[in-house]
Amino acid sequence: MTDSAAAAILEKLESILEPGKLRTDAESLDTYGRDWTKKHTPRPLAIAFPKTTEQVQAIVRLANEYKVGIVPSGGRTGLSGGAMATNGEIVVAFDYMNQIEAFNAADRTVVCQAGVVTEQLQTFAEENNLFYPVDFASAGSSQIGGNLSTNAGGIKVIRYGMTRDWVAGLEVVTGKGDVLQLNRNLVKNATGYDLRHLFIGAEGTLGLITRATMKLARQPKNLTVLVLGLSHFRHVMDVLETFSAAIDLTAFEFFSHKALKHVLARGEVPAPFEGEAPFYALIEFEAVTEQVLEESMGLFEKAVEAGWVVDGVISQSETQARNLWRLREDISETISEHTPYKNDISVVPSRVPAFLEEIDAVVTRHYPDFEIIWFGHIGDGNLHLNILKPRDLPKEEFFKRCEQVNTWVFEIVQKHEGSVSAEHGVGLLKKDYIGYSRSPEEIEYMKAIKRAFDPNNVMNPGKLIDL
Amino acid sequence: MKVLVAVKRVIDYNVKVRVKPDNSGVDLANVKMAMNPFDEIAVEEAVRLKEKGIATEIVVVSIGPKAAQEQIRTALALGADRGILIETDEEVQSLDAAKLLKGVVEKEAPQLILLGKQSIDTDNNQTGQMLAGLLGCGQGTFASRVDVEGDSVVVEREIDGGLMDIKLKLPAVITADLRLNEPRYASLPNIMKAKKKPLETLSVGDLGVELKPRLKTLKVEEPPKRQAGIKVSSVDELVEKLKNEAKVI
Ligand SMILES: Cc1cc2nc3c(=O)[nH]c(=O)nc-3n(C[C@H](O)[C@H](O)[C@H](O)COP(=O)(O)OP(=O)(O)OC[C@H]3O[C@@H](n4cnc5c(N)ncnc54)[C@H](O)[C@@H]3O)c2cc1C
Ligand SMILES: Cc1cc2nc3c(=O)[nH]c(=O)nc-3n(C[C@H](O)[C@H](O)[C@H](O)COP(=O)(O)OP(=O)(O)OC[C@H]3O[C@@H](n4cnc5c(N)ncnc54)[C@H](O)[C@@H]3O)c2cc1C
Repeated sequence: MTDSAAAAILEKLESILEPGKLRTDAESLDTYGRDWTKKHTPRPLAIAFPKTTEQVQAIVRLANEYKVGIVPSGGRTGLSGGAMATNGEIVVAFDYMNQIEAFNAADRTVVCQAGVVTEQLQTFAEENNLFYPVDFASAGSSQIGGNLSTNAGGIKVIRYGMTRDWVAGLEVVTGKGDVLQLNRNLVKNATGYDLRHLFIGAEGTLGLITRATMKLARQPKNLTVLVLGLSHFRHVMDVLETFSAAIDLTAFEFFSHKALKHVLARGEVPAPFEGEAPFYALIEFEAVTEQVLEESMGLFEKAVEAGWVVDGVISQSETQARNLWRLREDISETISEHTPYKNDISVVPSRVPAFLEEIDAVVTRHYPDFEIIWFGHIGDGNLHLNILKPRDLPKEEFFKRCEQVNTWVFEIVQKHEGSVSAEHGVGLLKKDYIGYSRSPEEIEYMKAIKRAFDPNNVMNPGKLIDL
Repeated sequence: MKVLVAVKRVIDYNVKVRVKPDNSGVDLANVKMAMNPFDEIAVEEAVRLKEKGIATEIVVVSIGPKAAQEQIRTALALGADRGILIETDEEVQSLDAAKLLKGVVEKEAPQLILLGKQSIDTDNNQTGQMLAGLLGCGQGTFASRVDVEGDSVVVEREIDGGLMDIKLKLPAVITADLRLNEPRYASLPNIMKAKKKPLETLSVGDLGVELKPRLKTLKVEEPPKRQAGIKVSSVDELVEKLKNEAKVI
């Protein structure tokens, strides 16, 4: 782009936005041009903070006029580089479109602007004696727009599903600059293609989500947490099968002792029990009656007798439940100083043991000198495989070595008909590997859809798929 | 050495409390209840004394409704040996609680009586002190360390401006402060074993006490709502607001 074109774009952006809502200072460019990933260097043209859908629409039209890219930016907690602006794009940040606009108790729905923070919606629901069930460690920063665009999952998927399952309606600005109202919050609407679902998980490549009507659930009662020490990862699915056959679980998580060690090292929460196990399962359910609790004890006994489980604890208070959750939830944060190389992979739950066995063999063979951290939403067949960077190894070399082994990991994913990105999206980081999970024909259709909504390829260009 | 630990069933620390519409108290219907956190610390200390071979038996006692059995069972799962529930659905104020505990002490003759420094529902911070007064024995309140030495105990207390070590003759009353220890979780095998441990129920009358509330609650109100924060767009604006609106600089 020429300097004069850039200057013209900035001038027009100034006139579209409210005063002070366009930033080009170095600090803002660096902050708003990146997400949680550390691989790429941000280099956006400017950061725009629209306050209305009309302003978003005007920015998209401007981008089409000048053929300049737009990178939608939410809470920037994304783990695939989807919100990275590396190529002189306009970053559209939703920080000032953060209002909860309406609550409908009869429909149990909430109208949110795209920039509403996930936790803000959770708190709002709670204040109204309801529950927004999508939850994960970054909920204090991530935005509804970002959650929708990655179809975020998290820790309650086993019971409540993904973000997709909580959307009654969407307002979007397409890459062409049209404003669409998708599904109009209807429960039933048999009038053809449900475009709403195309924008969910699109990572901002089709347009910008400006508003969403989200559904709420009833509040869960007396959530109780078990942390069980497993004798071997092989048995994680035996434990899942046993428990979920008898109790409706609200979560089933998994982590290794190596992962737990990082959380315990920080000294903020106590270890679950004195001895250690190589792997742990965290199980959550609603202990609505004494009977359910009794039942869970019986299942625990069965798991011990079968040799799957070596020890276990159960929360006796909400404080304990929270602290037990932190054993799992603090892992991402405590390993982040080690520049982890993250893989977020999934298979159907029944294939997890065989899949784990094969991946474990590959990574120990090829990364004998690296620390490997396992955790994940295993009840959904979703594993987070994290490789930590040795302190003295340069970042570039570290990532290069990780990428070499990716091929082997993804071949195993492909063999088990799994996904190379379960819930973190594709963005920049997983783009080269999408072929392990999607057929060439499927990718061709995806491109055709992208062209229909965004003919000039202004929406998050270079992410997810190349045109 | 026999140790007696008092535990109270209170509203869970993490529950957002709601005041009843008629301002008569806090709404407890369908609210999660748990062991008072300071009592958890007292139980943990007793269990550690037993693990060190100092305590030989731990008796937990709770005053409250039938459901307070749950908290006694938790203490039993953590390592206590038997439980006593003084069952009552009435309001029990500090002095009455101290009198009831005195009755149990006289029956059980423990060498050490451990309590939390206060319960998080009423924040009275009185029961331990009153109990020591009624028993005529020494008291070590706000304990952050407990060392039993022969027939006495050295208690490190958290006081304004530092720590104070005192030496008490046994039997003595000790109330636990936050930093005394970090309580463990109840393990599932121990919870199952705890079901078989003895739990005796007494009535208030069994201990020769008559409940006499001396304080009347006039009104319970929510604290004033905090104002929502605002976002400023620059350091200059922040300084300006701190100077002219908040008037703090
Ligand atoms: C500690 C930690 C734990 C995490 N745990 C989980 C987990 O358990 N489950 C899970 O699914 N994810 C998890 N994540 C990943 C991340 O939090 C989610 O992907 C989240 O949904 C991203 O939301 P965000 O607002 O931060 O989006 P961003 O990172 O800002 O953006 C994500 C993508 O959405 C696009 N986008 C953002 N807003 C819009 C919009 N309004 N319109 C169109 N496109 C938009 C961006 O361009 C980008 O492609 C975790 C991340 C961290 C750091
Ligand atoms: C008495 C009665 C009660 C009903 N109650 C309900 C109700 O409560 N809820 C409800 O939703 N509907 C109801 N319906 C409507 C109807 O039963 C549903 O729409 C049903 O799903 C249609 O299934 P079908 O196999 O009969 O489809 P058809 O009528 O054969 O076809 C429906 C459409 O699907 C297409 N189609 C069929 N098979 C395929 C295929 N394999 N691949 C691609 N396209 C295909 C057809 O071309 C057509 O467009 C009711 C109908 C009747 C007669």
